[in-house]
Amino acid sequence: MAALAPVQVSPLIKFGRYSALLLGIMWGSHRFRVNKAAEDSWRAEEAERKVIRDAQKAEEKLRFNREELLYLAKQAGVKVPPNF
Amino acid sequence: MAKALSGLAAKAPGMIKGVVDYSTPKLNTFWHYARVELTPPTPADIPKITTGLQSLVKSAKTGKWKQVTVKEAWLNTLITAEIAFWFFVGECIGKGSIVGYKV
Repeated sequence: MAALAPVQVSPLIKFGRYSALLLGIMWGSHRFRVNKAAEDSWRAEEAERKVIRDAQKAEEKLRFNREELLYLAKQAGVKVPPNF
Repeated sequence: MAKALSGLAAKAPGMIKGVVDYSTPKLNTFWHYARVELTPPTPADIPKITTGLQSLVKSAKTGKWKQVTVKEAWLNTLITAEIAFWFFVGECIGKGSIVGYKV
């Protein structure tokens, strides 16, 4: 195929293309900022909730461990030391 | 690993020359068309842009758009689709990633 001559694109189309590009860049950066703000605030709240959740889980773990050992001691007939 | 790196360093000038030799003609053809077709509109084109917009509005108002051939209508659809794609490319640039907002 022989090399085609470059097409003279109508200025209206060029104007449409480049304004669409510009509007797209502005839209993309705007949505990114909005989404990032929402996600950052959610992450901050989640970090607070995680601290509380981790403390609860650690305390529950200790309690269940102790109760399990007491149960096993009763089943095995082992005497439990007084301050357990 | 060291032998592979030193082998690469020995072959790198040849490889770079190969890349340049391959890409230069292609870049030339790209530049040949881009210089005419892809340049942004200049302020000198503003009157042509306004007349173009006015003819679009007039065609919508007078009902001339109904007299357009199917081939012309198909071409116009493709052009509109291309302008929409430029918008999405701009959005990818604005959000800094191809797929999705990496927040």
